[in-house]
Formats: sequence, structure tokens, C-alpha cells
Amino acid sequence: MPHGSPRFVHGKILHNSGSGIFYRMEVAIPERIDFVPGQFAMVSGWPGNDPLLPRPLAIFRSGGVRGKGTVEFVYKVVGRGTALLSGLHAGDPLALTLPLGHGFEFPGEDRSWWLVGGGVGFSSVFPAAVALEGERADFEIFLGARSRDQLPPGEWIPGGAVPGRVHLCTDDGTAGFFGTAAAALRDRIDRRRSAGPSRVSILACGPREMLKAVAELALPLDIRVQVSLESSMACGFGVCWGCVTAIRDGEKSGYRRICKEGPVFDAREVVW
Amino acid sequence: MTHSVTPDLSARVGSVLLKNPVMSASGTFGYGLEFMPFYDISRLGAVIVKGLSLLPTPGNPPGRIVETPAGMLNAIGLQNIGVERFVNEVAPRLDDAGAVYVANVYGRTIEEYEAVARRLSDLPGLAAIEVNASCPNVKEGGIAFGSSPGGLSGLTRRVRAATEKPLWVKLSPNVSDIGAIARAAEEAGADAVTLINTIVGMAVDPRTRRPMLSNVTGGLSGPAVKPVALRMVWEACKAVKIPVVGIGGIQSPGDALEFLLVGAAAVQVGTANFRNPNACVEIVDGIREFFVREKIFRLDDYRGTLLLRE
Repeated sequence: MPHGSPRFVHGKILHNSGSGIFYRMEVAIPERIDFVPGQFAMVSGWPGNDPLLPRPLAIFRSGGVRGKGTVEFVYKVVGRGTALLSGLHAGDPLALTLPLGHGFEFPGEDRSWWLVGGGVGFSSVFPAAVALEGERADFEIFLGARSRDQLPPGEWIPGGAVPGRVHLCTDDGTAGFFGTAAAALRDRIDRRRSAGPSRVSILACGPREMLKAVAELALPLDIRVQVSLESSMACGFGVCWGCVTAIRDGEKSGYRRICKEGPVFDAREVVW
Repeated sequence: MTHSVTPDLSARVGSVLLKNPVMSASGTFGYGLEFMPFYDISRLGAVIVKGLSLLPTPGNPPGRIVETPAGMLNAIGLQNIGVERFVNEVAPRLDDAGAVYVANVYGRTIEEYEAVARRLSDLPGLAAIEVNASCPNVKEGGIAFGSSPGGLSGLTRRVRAATEKPLWVKLSPNVSDIGAIARAAEEAGADAVTLINTIVGMAVDPRTRRPMLSNVTGGLSGPAVKPVALRMVWEACKAVKIPVVGIGGIQSPGDALEFLLVGAAAVQVGTANFRNPNACVEIVDGIREFFVREKIFRLDDYRGTLLLRE
């Protein structure tokens, strides 16, 4: 079995607890898995056929010792499937297919990184922050939400204790920057200009309008932007062709699977 | 002392001998290669690959799928790589994997169906051609041919003449008399019929007042369609002498056994592959365990033995 290739496993929940609208779940699985930040799992854990399909959840962290593995997710209750997941307890069984998709790329060594997460999109950029923190790389996080109570808990945020590293942004101004994460990013870009050029790369996940706004801000300045797209999915591993998005391919564009060729795409290729 | 004998699960669909009666359904298994990280695909009776057209097809715009109670609607629109790339890039890898494989084909015109079938006929490893006369999601995907006995008969006859390969015809459930449609395929030279394809359905968003699928309607699959599929397979088995391959909502070994019991020569598993990549092989293993438990030695001793009250 090639390193990192997907597998279908049965797991057992170790803990699953909520904080406001977000939940954090750790699952014991038969073997340790390695993943690239931005990769995800298809997860189901309810009896019966309704809902029928597993749910895609970004992989937050993986671990394990002596042949056993663990995997951790941070997710938001958005519909029936995630509501059912949030009701599960330690000891409950789960079925998981993982790791799936094409994650973020970390080219070069002389970059600083801006990570932009909107809503539950933060759960996809968090593992990137953890990886960058591990590399002692220079990064800042922009987290956007409608209001304070829609932000993830501070203790979940990697690098949260470092001043200037995390920019909280709320549409209603109840916490942090008064405005969207994209607007906060625009401010940051303006300040960077006055501070002189340095190579910077953006990783973003969130609502499509947010990703589009980030791309429109950064691409004209030659800042590389990788976006992680969200979609409902049936399979998650490239066989149903249900989750496609239009991607530029030379002069033309064609449909690419978010689950397989994505979820992370170069923002220049996405047909917004 | 007791000992168990490994039951003989081999199944025959016309001239095609399968090691077991479980196949993947077209459109739910990609080109088969995508499942190789999960298991050895040569363990399946056969792999039915995604519908192939003469030229690569872009498919429908997103949204393409909607989950429904115990089912899903899709309107993929037959996105595929085209027959040439399949022949050159995919078929050799399926051969290397030792898989028995069947190609599902469609065209915008009868001439395109013929051309795709002819091109595939050069493949020595190809076990059969399955004519998609029933995709509900594109005007040209066969539903125009497959919704009347006359149309299906004309299509089947022409493709039959274009290839020496065993010819299976995949039927639509969106008809009033499935028996008449199945007979039309049989009389026109089909070696087997496979049914059902998806049932036309629809989902709308009450807030945005818009259809959930870009194509407005889509094909319903999953456990929700199983009772309809089972009834239609039963009716088709009574209507024709050629083998009937049963599809529709099969999720478990028990579901597959129901289709075999009403007379299906073999089954195809579709949507279940999405929720569990190992679904097909788990169903093979489950059928074997059932036969061991029930002391059934051969599939042929079980198939078509439905008991009906007088």
C-alpha cells in the first residue's frame, strides 16, 4: 500500500465535545495515518441509511503509537449529518475513509504565510498553521466569522498566544477587526507594501465569496494563493464526479473534482 | 463433526462467466483504478466502468448531486474521458490488475454508439459492452432511445451489428411496461439486460426557490429505490429468457440476495460504493457466508427460487 494512499477504516470515538457551534472529535483508528494539511476524511457514524452519505471533514491532526492511530477533527454543525455526529459519544463507532484529496503545498523556504479561514473553513487552515509552527515558519492567521460567538475557541488556535499572529475578524465588530477576513487582509497587504517587499504566500479556506475576494486582492500583487474549496460530496475519492468546479486549463476550462484534484487549488486556475 | 464447503459463487451472464455475481455499477466506480488502494478489484465478478462516449464529455455544471432520504439525486451528465483514452490508458491497467471489465457506452446518435462499440471491440480483455439506453441526465444519453420498445429495438439492433462482444442493454425504470422494454432488447439481439438505471427525480430549495440541481432533474439512486428496482427486475425476469442483471439500492449481502432470489443472474452495486469503498467485496463475502450458513453449495441452486403463494 503506497504511503498516504486512502483507506477505509472503522474507528472508535475517544472524545467528542462542543464549544459553542464548533465541535472537536478525536477518533481511535487501527493504524497511524499521515496527511497533508488540507486533506480530509469522509466520516459517517449513524445507524441506518438516512442520511445516506458520509460527510467530508478536514483532518485537523493525526497521531498514534505502536501501530495504533488517532485522528482529530474540528467541525461545525451545519446540517443533519454533522448534527448526528455531534450527538455521538466516546466509545461510539465511526466509519472513515482517509486521507483524501490534494492538500496545501509549501513551496520554497523564504516565504511568510498568511492563513485565511472563514467560518468552518478555519478547520482546514489550522493543520497548515500547526505544520508551519512546527517548522518555526513565519505565519499569521486571519479568522473571519459573523460575530464573536461564531469564532473558534482561542485555545484551539495554533500560535494564538503569539502577539500579532492571529487576527480575529467579525462582520458585526463584536470581536477583533470590524469587517471580513478579506478586508483585514487588505489592510495587512497595505501595511506590507509600506514595509517593503517580502515573499508571502496565502492559504485560504472558507465561503466561496471570501476566497474570491482574497484571490482578487492578492493575485494582482503576485502573491501566490492556494484556496481550499468546499462542496457536498457523495464519495470523496473521485468516483462519483458530483463535486466538480470549473478550472482553467490553458485557454479553456473544464470541470475538476474538488475531492480528488482539490480541495486545494491554485487560485489562478479557479473560474470564480 | 461438521465442516464447511466453500460455495461455488460463479455466475453466468450469457457467455460471460463471472467468479461471483457482484459487479460495480457504471458511474459509481470510476474506471475501476480508483478502488485499487482499497482492495484487489479482480475479486469482483466484474467492474463496469463509467459510461464512455466517442469524444471526452464535460458533463453538467455543478450542482450535480443532492442527498435525499435514503438516497441521492445525481445529474453528472456523463462526464468522461472518451473511448480513445479509455482504450489506451485505462484498459491496459485493468488487464494488469486481472479485472474482468465491462464498458458502459453511450452516444448522442446511434452512429456514435456504433463507433464507440466498434472501438472497444478491439480490446481482447473486454468481457462485454453495456449499452446505456437510460441515462436520464442528458438528452443524448440514451433515454431518447430507451424509453420506447421501438427506439430501444432500433438502437440495440444497430449496436449488435457493430460488435462481436457480448451486448448488455441497461434499461430505464422510467417506463410504464418494463417487460415490453426488456423483450424489445431481447428480440433485437441483446445478450442480457441490466436494470434499473436511476429514477428521474427532483429537489428544490424552498428559500432560494431554485432547483438543487443545475439540470433541474436528476437520477435517484440508493436504498430508496430498491423496492422499485426489485419489482422491475422480477418482472423483467418473467418477460425474457436472456439473463437479467439486477441493480438498484443494493447496500448489503441481504439486498443482493433478494435480487438473485427473484431471478437476477448477477447484480451491480452502485451508490453503496460511495459510502463504503469496500461495499462490493463485503457483499461478495456476505453472500458466501450466507450460503455456508444455509448450506447452499452453488449460486445456481439459489438463484430464481422465490416462493410465491398459489
